[in-house]
Amino acid sequence: MDAPLLAIENLRTYFFSRAKRAFIRSVDGVSLGVARGETLGIVGESGSGKSVTALSAAGLVTAGPGVISGHIHLHSNGARRNLLDGLEKYARVTEQDGRVMAVEKDERGWRKHSETLMAGVRGKEIAMIFQNPRSALNPYSTIGKQLVETIRLHTNFKGENEARERAIHWLERVRIDSPRLRFDNFPFGMSGGMCQRAMIAMALSAEPSLLIADEPTTGLDATIQSRIVDLLAQLKTETGTTTLLISHDISVIQRLSDHIAVMYGGTVVETGRAAEVLAPEAKVRHPYTAALLASIPSADTIRRKSYLQAIEGEVLDTIEVPRGCRFYGRCNRVTEAIRENCAGLEPPLGDVASGHKVRCWLYPAARKA
Amino acid sequence: MRRTILEVTELRKDYSQRRGLVSMLTGQGRVIPAVDGVSFYLRENETVGLVGESGCGKTTIGRTVLRLTDPSSGHIVFDGRDITKLSRAKLRPLRREMQMIFQDLDAGLNPRMRVRDILREALTVYERPSDAEIASRIRELLEQVSLKDSKLPNFPSELSGGEKRRVGIARVLAVRPRLIVADEPTSALDISIQAQVVNLLRDLQRDLGLSYLFISHDLPVVELVSQKVAVMYLGRIVEMGLAENIAHQPRHPYTRILWSSLADKQNTEESLYARSSATAEREQRTWGVFDFEQPVSGCRFAPRCPLYKDKGRPAICTDPASEPQLRDVGHGHVVACHFA
Repeated sequence: MDAPLLAIENLRTYFFSRAKRAFIRSVDGVSLGVARGETLGIVGESGSGKSVTALSAAGLVTAGPGVISGHIHLHSNGARRNLLDGLEKYARVTEQDGRVMAVEKDERGWRKHSETLMAGVRGKEIAMIFQNPRSALNPYSTIGKQLVETIRLHTNFKGENEARERAIHWLERVRIDSPRLRFDNFPFGMSGGMCQRAMIAMALSAEPSLLIADEPTTGLDATIQSRIVDLLAQLKTETGTTTLLISHDISVIQRLSDHIAVMYGGTVVETGRAAEVLAPEAKVRHPYTAALLASIPSADTIRRKSYLQAIEGEVLDTIEVPRGCRFYGRCNRVTEAIRENCAGLEPPLGDVASGHKVRCWLYPAARKA
Repeated sequence: MRRTILEVTELRKDYSQRRGLVSMLTGQGRVIPAVDGVSFYLRENETVGLVGESGCGKTTIGRTVLRLTDPSSGHIVFDGRDITKLSRAKLRPLRREMQMIFQDLDAGLNPRMRVRDILREALTVYERPSDAEIASRIRELLEQVSLKDSKLPNFPSELSGGEKRRVGIARVLAVRPRLIVADEPTSALDISIQAQVVNLLRDLQRDLGLSYLFISHDLPVVELVSQKVAVMYLGRIVEMGLAENIAHQPRHPYTRILWSSLADKQNTEESLYARSSATAEREQRTWGVFDFEQPVSGCRFAPRCPLYKDKGRPAICTDPASEPQLRDVGHGHVVACHFA
């Protein structure tokens, strides 16, 4: 197996909350790999750090202090580059009892250096689809114009006319009806589903090595959602674009992903092949993944009109990170044998099967590691 | 037989859209029928679910039955009293019996007030209780929505989404309502919190005998909490019946599509083959754009309807004189389609 197209190692991205006068550890030591031609789905609730992980990979974190440390390796077109290469020297973190006390970061130096590293990567090598397509499209310019601009900038279709034909080709591929007419439409004249299709066309038209899809179906109507998911599934088989998919909707993740990473409180708590992690009969599973799956009403719950299995408590805010497992406070599977560990020591992400890792003291792999 | 707490007949709500100076001066403009002749009833201690895509008029119905907006025509009967034309003053004592939970978590939570004051205000709108009474009622409310009393001095901005939702519900409960219109009560929340809130709403219904008009696009949740479900399309109810029948034996093609779009997104046991063929089948149906502005002639779902195509575009579906009306297909299950 060759090296993953995107390998994120020990990524840390922090923000400063003025209201709370404290640092939020949005992404706190995340390591992930996206294999060439595959889709990695990151699932988690709001505040789990899934979107910030993606934004960090695309170099789009603007709020301070932002990305602190880690490696983001991108292997594409024969080149191997670390998108955070040499940036460590610009930032230093002071920590005390699980609370970040201060972050010194030379923003200007970092940004300047980062932009040199990202030039030619963002947009070309890494393209993104966002949650709200209307806000990502330029309202003053037609869909066609925006597509042509992307194509001329990033591909070999430099001529006005060939770029136009290429744009229409992409509108067809994302199944926008009458693409020649839609070419001259402004975003406001199109429905939400249409705009999302146009957005997808724009991202793919640059022929990126990596597509980041951040909640591509959220905010669309139920019927439209499933059609966008269908489209993404079809494009996946047609183009084979490596994709980092982010969603809070497990059903979307399940439909489109080869591998899955479950995030909680800024860390990855479980990762593995989608079929294994989400298999209904799986015995080895992080308690959080299990609880997430159980909180979706099943056919059986509905038939018997029984209670939903809610996860007690609230989503962890990552200001005060507990000393032990981040899920400990809400976990219903703590046994007396492991309680001491759970409360006092963060479990490592241990192998429970080939390629399947779980961050939980329940499994011996964690104890060995 | 339980009493009927809310009965809505032929409810209509038009919004007029005026563009430009001329139409503004002449008072002429396009009229958009957001709700176009809707009838249903809700019995005490029951839940009616209202589903449909955004823009179909679900929220408008919720707001109109509470008289937060005035209906254009039709009747709303609350607990035996016609409230359609009731004046503001006469409506006021009834307001406490019918409340709304809004989709927006921050709606109704004054950002400059502490949780304690928000609840105190709600308790003193209709009554003048003593301080001791207020304190005990606040304790009771916190218990009902399982919120820790350590949150009382907090401002809304210091609460998590789930806590804001609980304060919102506590505030509604403070006036002891009998009917609650819950407009997408869970859609702004995380999955793990959604389940908590759904369980809470069901507990409250059992303990306090509440009646819910439950508006949501989350079909499994609607099926779980509702006895009856009404499916709306472009301002009209196209199918209504017992929740399990709507979910498992839908008759209207639109209801089928709504539920199937859910099924092949979610079904875990379904084989890969079955899933891809279902997808292909659905992809064959080209959907027109959902549009209020096109004049309706005949069935308003016809332009998107797979059945209409399969039947070879029968004339009756687009005949302006025969828009399909709701008809009973047994067990109180009604459907508005010529062929269902």
